[in-house]
Amino acid sequence: MSKTSSTRGGINRRTALAGTASLIAAPWISSTARAQAKPVNIGVIMPLSGANAQFGINSRNGIELVADEINAAGGIRSLGGAKINLIVADSTSTPTTAGTVAQRMISQNEVTAILGAFASSLTIAISEVTERRDIPLLTMSFADQITGRGYKNIFQVVAKASALGKAQLDYTVAIAQAAGTKIDKIAIMYEDTAYGTAQAEGLRAAAKAANIQLVMDDAYPLGITDTTPLINKLRASGAQAVFPVSYLNDSLLLIRTMRQQRITIPAIGGAAGYVIPDFEKGLGEFAEGVLSIAPANYDLDTSLTDRFRKRFGYFMVHEALEHAVALDVLVQAIEKAKSAKAEDVTLALRGAKFTGGWTNAMTGGAVQFDNTGLNVASIPVMVQWRKKELVTVWPKDVAKGAAEWKF
Amino acid sequence: MKRWIPIAVIVLAAAAVPLLLNPTGYWIRVFTFTLLFAAMAQAWNLIGGLANQLSLGHAAFFGIGAYTSTILLLKFGISPWLGMFAGGALGGVAALIIAIPTMRLQGHYFALATLAFGEVARVIANVWTSLTGGPVGLSVPFVPPGFAAYSFKQLLPHAYIALIALIIVTAIFEVIRRGAMGYRLRAIRENAAAAEVIGIDTTKVKLQTAVISGVLIAMLGTLYAQVAVFFDPDTVFNAMSISIRVALIAIIGGVGTAIGPILGALFIVPVEELMNDLFSAGAAGLSQLIFGVILIVVILWRPRGLVTVIEALRTWLRGKGAQS
Repeated sequence: MSKTSSTRGGINRRTALAGTASLIAAPWISSTARAQAKPVNIGVIMPLSGANAQFGINSRNGIELVADEINAAGGIRSLGGAKINLIVADSTSTPTTAGTVAQRMISQNEVTAILGAFASSLTIAISEVTERRDIPLLTMSFADQITGRGYKNIFQVVAKASALGKAQLDYTVAIAQAAGTKIDKIAIMYEDTAYGTAQAEGLRAAAKAANIQLVMDDAYPLGITDTTPLINKLRASGAQAVFPVSYLNDSLLLIRTMRQQRITIPAIGGAAGYVIPDFEKGLGEFAEGVLSIAPANYDLDTSLTDRFRKRFGYFMVHEALEHAVALDVLVQAIEKAKSAKAEDVTLALRGAKFTGGWTNAMTGGAVQFDNTGLNVASIPVMVQWRKKELVTVWPKDVAKGAAEWKF
Repeated sequence: MKRWIPIAVIVLAAAAVPLLLNPTGYWIRVFTFTLLFAAMAQAWNLIGGLANQLSLGHAAFFGIGAYTSTILLLKFGISPWLGMFAGGALGGVAALIIAIPTMRLQGHYFALATLAFGEVARVIANVWTSLTGGPVGLSVPFVPPGFAAYSFKQLLPHAYIALIALIIVTAIFEVIRRGAMGYRLRAIRENAAAAEVIGIDTTKVKLQTAVISGVLIAMLGTLYAQVAVFFDPDTVFNAMSISIRVALIAIIGGVGTAIGPILGALFIVPVEELMNDLFSAGAAGLSQLIFGVILIVVILWRPRGLVTVIEALRTWLRGKGAQS
């Protein structure tokens, strides 16, 4: 009897002690658990060297801004404050290398998702790897076949190249009409990359639908060094407006040659090289008034994009903005899924509508992926260079200024 | 008999490597590309090493191989195994067409002419959209897995196919080097006029070599397409990432030797990957800069290729043996 009671007493004392200890330790344990919540690895594959390096760096800046802000605000709440850990790597300009980098991130860094890779060919190469390994890939590359192949793990946050090409023409016609000009002859020049040809395709289709004559329709190789023959042809064509689609160096060369030869017809660029600070830096006064289509523009919500300008010293170019949106949406999906598992995140992304945060800076103020992974909420905008800044001038409901159509 | 033992050991060791790697992982992909680039450099070595004609246009044949088998698969459902031979045949024809006017050229002139042909091939592939899909590139469709269809879920079979390809190309290289053709090529390399005098049809021998080299690298183009799954004209007809890289691998390894391209690929492909892994998160372009510096150092250290390291090791070992 006494034996039993002493045993019982011993147990009680121990239990009590352990209980007290655990009570004292509880806040400490839970706080370390929060601090040690496993970080969520997110892969960032960008062309950080080669011809597209500047776009890759811009994109990386946008992503780092959002990641740092989320981490500073306490990380991912539904995962106990898990921090975002960006794994950044250079895709170079070779698609095969981009694919290899994706493979490395999946098997060595166990990434939850991948963001990348600006150029469409790089993105497609990465998607071939992510699709086979069921890892979500979020991109702002334009090419139509990115979401046109029926892949389950790819998400395109911007309108497709064909839609951009169509908007490039339709908006221009509308702007000219508002200024009292009817357009019936245009010229197209594009670089022979995936992006250039896809967008030219959209332009061509829209021109045909609007009964506008293509008096010039020329492809030229990326990295062209002498645009004089193209410009001579443009002069002879009698076009009322020219639609050049190209990356930076070609865009500088084309516009400079045009303006130096006193060809003053409106130029409506196809995003990429036409909507980054280097365009204005390279052209100076020649940049003023140049229009361009863009999948998004920073002046749609300056309360967000000024944070980028403050940190990096230049306006938030569209690729930075769209990648910021992509990361924001991805984190929202992880919050919703309460899991950093790739398949759970894909499920949370598909078909869902995301609002708030960085999506406010997109047209439509939201991101909604359809079954192919395309963001159906996004429509392109027309922007115009005004004193070193890009002003959204069309469509009217989102415009921040009126388009100038006089040359 | 004894000289076969080290070769057998190397082959067995190479065959064991893929088994140690994660079959869906990263290093097996790097290993597969290492073997493929070794085989490509070996095919280049025929013309660049034995005939001493520095071709910078091999991407043209390589791309033809990749496109032929993939287009046949996409449009007619023909297995890439067959497409590989069709690509090889077309690659050989292209090599012949290019070689006829250029083989008379020597040194820099030959290099520049072939470089131009590679670029021409890229432009054609970009423009001929109805056939090649144009600049948007081609994705190799994923067909139900099976050996006959050349479709696998994992990279392991691809690694072994690349290894077998490397062995075959190396064997062809060795047979030619040791045979009558090898002697003729060496005679031409040393002194073309003297070779003509002793009765060698120099043009014919060079053309033969160019065609064999073109056929082999075109067939390797199919293998590359099957592993990479997606490619565009810029990927396979690229002067920098194919033509020059293949020549560089052979030159770094040791031009004109059978082991040279293998050493070169074992060095260049993994080191470039490692640099990308270690440094590309830092300053943009840093990894490529460091890789370039490493290349310069290696070239300065071993101007005649990494193969000289093996030779030096061998002499050193022999010296030790003599002492004891």
